[in-house]
Amino acid sequence: MSANTKSLKLRIKSVDSTLHLTKAMGLVASSKIRKANIAMQTGRQYEAAVQSVVDLLTSALDYRSSPFMREYQGGKTKLIVIAGDRGLAGGYNANVFRAVRDFGDAEIIPIGKRACERYGADIISSEKFYAADAFKLAQQLCSQFAAGEFDRLGIVTTNYISMMTQTPEIKWVLPLKKNNDTKTTAAIFEPDERVILDIAVPEYLSGIIVACVRESFASEVAARRMAMDSAGKNAQQMIDNLQLEYNRARQGAITQEITEIVAGAGN
Amino acid sequence: MNTYKLIISTPDGNPFDSEAVMLCVRGIEGELAVMAGHVPFITAVKAGDCKVILPDETEKTATIGGGILTVQNDKTTLLCSDFKWN
Repeated sequence: MSANTKSLKLRIKSVDSTLHLTKAMGLVASSKIRKANIAMQTGRQYEAAVQSVVDLLTSALDYRSSPFMREYQGGKTKLIVIAGDRGLAGGYNANVFRAVRDFGDAEIIPIGKRACERYGADIISSEKFYAADAFKLAQQLCSQFAAGEFDRLGIVTTNYISMMTQTPEIKWVLPLKKNNDTKTTAAIFEPDERVILDIAVPEYLSGIIVACVRESFASEVAARRMAMDSAGKNAQQMIDNLQLEYNRARQGAITQEITEIVAGAGN
Repeated sequence: MNTYKLIISTPDGNPFDSEAVMLCVRGIEGELAVMAGHVPFITAVKAGDCKVILPDETEKTATIGGGILTVQNDKTTLLCSDFKWN
């Protein structure tokens, strides 16, 4: 057989191994989706619960005295950037990094191996990021914020809308905003509002961080599944095309051989 | 016995979300118990033991990390970073 068919065969083999890889990664992603979704739901529930307490506290009285409620009037920005642990998830990581690009002077706290590699920090996995880690980070950030080391804190995360769509988003968490929709309740605060707010803010921040990390992870897994699905389809199509070409080349070689034999026998 | 809706919420889910008769925790200013009809009230909770009395009068104890207790007219929420039934 000619060199042409041989090289075609080699290419088919290599595309086939890519197909295997995408299939395997797609399967791993599918098996993680359910768990990631449940974790995301519980994270959201907790976030909503903490949010309602903080809303109650911020609306209850004049909290302008609290360091967490000073207004942002320019100054240092800190961003928590949550990206994935691995690549091959479509535009998931790239979208997050693109959202960060608008804040060139911000100090960045990366979560997720990809983000850590990009911003040159110690590796923190986003898949194995637990509530205790978030709480430690939140406490550290709160004390820095209260001391005035930075003036604004945002979280760059990915919004999980559905299996098909995930969009990057920046959530501004500190300073706290007064929610005017919450009706003020005549609740008793023990010992007083300020002390409770100071205790509630790290709890609130860690709740939001956990919820965001989990939502991002669910988005990552979903994005990877979609990406692997389409990559698998492309690979299959490529194999089909190459196979067709290979068959043609093979048939061409056979026809040529026969013609040569017949021509030889005729002489 | 009068009951009220008690929700205990942690980042890993809600370990308790149903009717209860009484909740005892260590508040920042001392131990306290919440029963049905308590006035709206917010306090910080210290790490330590926590006790829940269920409508069938069984008692459940748990260990909690610090958190915040919010008593509202329709429900009582205990938010804590850590919660484990004993």
